[in-house]
Amino acid sequence: MSPASPWSRTPVALLCALPALVQPPVRAQEADLAERLYRSGERAYADKAYKEAVDTWSQLLQSAPRSEFAPRALLALARHQMEVEHKPEAAMPYLDRLKAEHIRAPEAAGGLLLRGILLARQARRPADLKDAMAEFNRVIDLFPDSPAVPEAHHRLGRAWRDQGQWGRALQQFVAAFQTRPDAPVAPKAMLEAAETLDLLDDLPGCLRMLQRVRTQAPQSPEAQEAAWRLALRVKHRLQKPPLANEGPWPAGRAKWLKTPTLLATAPDGDLLIYQSDLDHAFRLHGGELSPAGPAATGARALLASPAGEVWLLSKSGLARESTPAPTPLNGLGAITGAALDRWGALWVADAKTPALSVFGADGASRIVASPTANALAPLPSGGVVIAADADRKLLFLDADGQPRAVVPYGRDLPAPFRYVLALASDGAGQVAVLVDGGDFGEGVLILDPRGALLRQATFKSLGISGRITSLALDRSGGLILCDRRNDLLYRLN
Amino acid sequence: MRLRRFLPLAFLLGLGLGAQDPALKDTFLQAKALWATQGDRENATTRFEQVVGALAPRAATLDPAWTQVLCESYNWLAVLDDRGAQTKARAQGRLQALIDLDPDFEVDRALTSQRLTALFERLRAERYAPVRLAYAPEGGTLTVDGRAGAPLGRRFLPFGTHKLVYSRPGYAPAEEILDLTASGGGRSAEFKLTRVSSAVTLYVQPSGAEVFLDGRSLGRTAGHAGEEAAPLAAPLGLRPEDLSGAFVIGELSPGKHQLELRAPCHRTRVLEMGADLATPFADHILEPIRLEASRGTLSVSSAWPGGELFLSGQSRGPLPVAQLPVCSGTYDLLVRFPAGGFSQRITIAEGKALALEARPKPRIAFLGMEGEVDFTGRSRLLAQLEALGGRLHQLAYLPARPGEAPKDALARVRTSREAELILLATPIQDRVIHRVELLVATLEGEEERLVVKPLEEDPLGPLAARLDAMPSLREPGLGLSLLDVPGEPGPWVLSASEAARKAGIQVGKPLLQLDGKPVSSVAALRRALEGAKATVTLSQGGAPVALPVQAEALEIPVGASNLCHPAVLAHLRLLQAGAQGDEAGLVRLNMGLALMHAHRYDKAIGQLRDAHLGSAAGVGQGTLDYRTGLCFLHLGSAYRTEAIQAFEQALKYPQATLLGPDGPLIAPLARQALDDLK
Repeated sequence: MSPASPWSRTPVALLCALPALVQPPVRAQEADLAERLYRSGERAYADKAYKEAVDTWSQLLQSAPRSEFAPRALLALARHQMEVEHKPEAAMPYLDRLKAEHIRAPEAAGGLLLRGILLARQARRPADLKDAMAEFNRVIDLFPDSPAVPEAHHRLGRAWRDQGQWGRALQQFVAAFQTRPDAPVAPKAMLEAAETLDLLDDLPGCLRMLQRVRTQAPQSPEAQEAAWRLALRVKHRLQKPPLANEGPWPAGRAKWLKTPTLLATAPDGDLLIYQSDLDHAFRLHGGELSPAGPAATGARALLASPAGEVWLLSKSGLARESTPAPTPLNGLGAITGAALDRWGALWVADAKTPALSVFGADGASRIVASPTANALAPLPSGGVVIAADADRKLLFLDADGQPRAVVPYGRDLPAPFRYVLALASDGAGQVAVLVDGGDFGEGVLILDPRGALLRQATFKSLGISGRITSLALDRSGGLILCDRRNDLLYRLN
Repeated sequence: MRLRRFLPLAFLLGLGLGAQDPALKDTFLQAKALWATQGDRENATTRFEQVVGALAPRAATLDPAWTQVLCESYNWLAVLDDRGAQTKARAQGRLQALIDLDPDFEVDRALTSQRLTALFERLRAERYAPVRLAYAPEGGTLTVDGRAGAPLGRRFLPFGTHKLVYSRPGYAPAEEILDLTASGGGRSAEFKLTRVSSAVTLYVQPSGAEVFLDGRSLGRTAGHAGEEAAPLAAPLGLRPEDLSGAFVIGELSPGKHQLELRAPCHRTRVLEMGADLATPFADHILEPIRLEASRGTLSVSSAWPGGELFLSGQSRGPLPVAQLPVCSGTYDLLVRFPAGGFSQRITIAEGKALALEARPKPRIAFLGMEGEVDFTGRSRLLAQLEALGGRLHQLAYLPARPGEAPKDALARVRTSREAELILLATPIQDRVIHRVELLVATLEGEEERLVVKPLEEDPLGPLAARLDAMPSLREPGLGLSLLDVPGEPGPWVLSASEAARKAGIQVGKPLLQLDGKPVSSVAALRRALEGAKATVTLSQGGAPVALPVQAEALEIPVGASNLCHPAVLAHLRLLQAGAQGDEAGLVRLNMGLALMHAHRYDKAIGQLRDAHLGSAAGVGQGTLDYRTGLCFLHLGSAYRTEAIQAFEQALKYPQATLLGPDGPLIAPLARQALDDLK
């Protein structure tokens, strides 16, 4: 047997080496294709050809699942589902895959953040926030230099706040605007920090922080928000001028309504008025009334959801614009007030029920032990304030329904009252109380978030003689009263 | 004897040459002395040959004094060679070389034998013809074939055709063409000039002044005046050598003229020349013109050690420099510190004193662009990077060295520590390069990366802006907490320091005026305070209240996108070198913050732990302690005890804040941190 010629061995060697020789060009081609597909999807998305963009990115994920453009495509697809399709649940699989397969990619920071935001949105109680908080912490720990970090701190702060952990929330809000002072989330974090400082009983700190929002981001929507929050607090809590009747409002209008019985303030500051004779709520904007929300006969509570939707509660249940038929409320027949909490749960007070009924967003309901509540209003802390005429006490409840402050009727007043007809609150935590009876008689009080009396006046001293059934606090520090007998509104300043 | 008579002349000649080449001059003088005083022919010959060896190769460029030395050396060598039997034959060669160098040179007949002199004359006559020259008036310049020279009475010119021009300021030049042949014998030429204008002769102190006539520069005065200027200099108490050599203005047209003399470090003088100077035509000599010295003084000091002052590139010694006399004018002042530099363009005004405090600026060295890959916009971007220094005010910029690779440049900068920051450009390898990564880093390793597109309009604009943004560690304040309350006419006083309250500031009322001017908002008040004096007057509607403007401590917003984090760190490191007391504590606090931003918590603790701040309220000691606690928290559970101690320490300062005097209180944050730890 003769030794094999070197020339005969060459083809074998070449065949063996072929994969190694071919692989780099193939990889390069794959990367090239991935980039082209990603860019093509980007262009389609910019042109709002969403289907084409989604198809292109999906093709990328199939043809080059390991390329550096795959995590980008996953994040883009998740964002599309959230922002355009408004289907957060459809975004989650993309985010799960991004987390599982591309945790080292820079896009993972954005993906984890988005995942955390989605999980936080799905949470219906404090314990549900655990997974969301873990994602936010991952962003901070794994990607400390990522632009997503300030937002992660901000979201963590909100999660702590929603659990009533004000100190931890403040730490995170401060970290959010200090990590990157000019991040888009910074003004939001400062605003949240201001509110948290107020909850921590640091009013000067709260006011300084609100001023900081105005100084640091004067053009931001948060600066506008800070302006009225600051004005309200200074006026009600520091200046405390005596309440004065400005007369019929707006612009001296009288007899212009049809039996107004309920008032509420929308998240954008507009006044909502329920007119009993018209069985409808109306939005007062720029001096003009326009119908808002569904029709409801004999509504006993009016409230605005965070999204701006008007809800009416009556004997027949909860009427919402989005649901044609009223949602039954376990037969509550003497509703005296309602509020939405941070979890989307509806707290309802009923004059015939010695407890508060809480209806979750998922349809489940529960009972929170409480005295019979004659009125109810939400608090920025996530809890509610209720008036219990039987006990002659105002109870400031936390998000779990536990009383944080109890204020006997008439405390700090020259004379006691007997009944609370309505409660209202503003975004800065002040509570307005419509009272009657006793030596005090008909009148209004303004309390701070802990129940301390800030301002008060009797209707007699104000020259008001109608039948006032509801009240609302406006963003200029005014108090609006609705007079069903005279079909008008008053503004106290 | 004859030789000894020659010595003084040799000595004087030697003096004239002293400034040019002292060693060669010594050799020349030694050669003469050896022969004249000791008769040492051999050593004298050796030295003359050394002189010839040094000067002959550059004979064409020698000035007249050195040409004279070379000619004399040939003359001496010819004489010395002629005296030795073995060297006699070389004498003719020496004379020939002498004639080739300067045919107008006359051998020293006291030194040279008649025979040699005759040989010299014969050799010269073989190639040169004597020309006798006469000039009227004398004192002009003779140019032979374009070469100017002294107007000698006799010249030896080579056979052939020559153009001779005689000129003198104020006269029309005269020209002669001479055709010289071996058989033609000697020739003569007479130049008679015709007056065409007046001529004015100036002597100026100092020499070197630039002369302008009717705004047109005529040149500079040069050299020093000779004895002919003594009668002019004496009445002014000057010596002739104090004045410049004569500067002649010829062709002075009829009418009045303005003469202007400018010299560095002197006050410019403008003289009006009357029409009588121009007509009738005549030669005028003006009284010597003295330019008064124009100087100011410069004092430069610095709290930072090791600075050396440079004015327009010239070292003026180490700092501090006090009352340094400096010619008036504009200079590029540079102070080089062991770390950092300070530069500023200054103008010294006559009789004025300028005092500066030099604070070193960080230096950034551009290392160049990585790789040789060419791409569109590469040269444009490189040119912009090279010129980046012109856009920076807070940093001193060191451009890349031509031909030096970035790696070598980095090694150089690391070794020499000539910069605190480096800048490196690296093209990002895409299919087509259209992005370049710019790395800014400290030598300690803190870095920041920025991606630019070479073809965009101003790719370096954002980088330049960020490098130049150096935040202040303090801001002017009044010890007041102010709010913009809608509906209030001015900043509303939320709280006031005890001193402000004692001075008369009322809490819960708005400020209406600052120094007599209405002030409508907190932002307007802050702007007004930026340029305010040490004390301002505030009004809340009642009696005005005077409050001192205080420099309130701040925490730098290190994470702000308008700041370049490594540049801020380099800036703080330089500040630290010159800071003392509370200032040092504040610098350390901010250094700690900047290091925390870079996740260098151990290094940050190093800065924060030993720092001290006197203030208990605002950004102060409590802030330092809280930040220290945060760093320990980041280092993990091993430092739990230290973190607890730091937060407990921070709680001792309930009025301490983050960020600035109006920032959030530290107490609730520290309390929460402690709760979490315990």
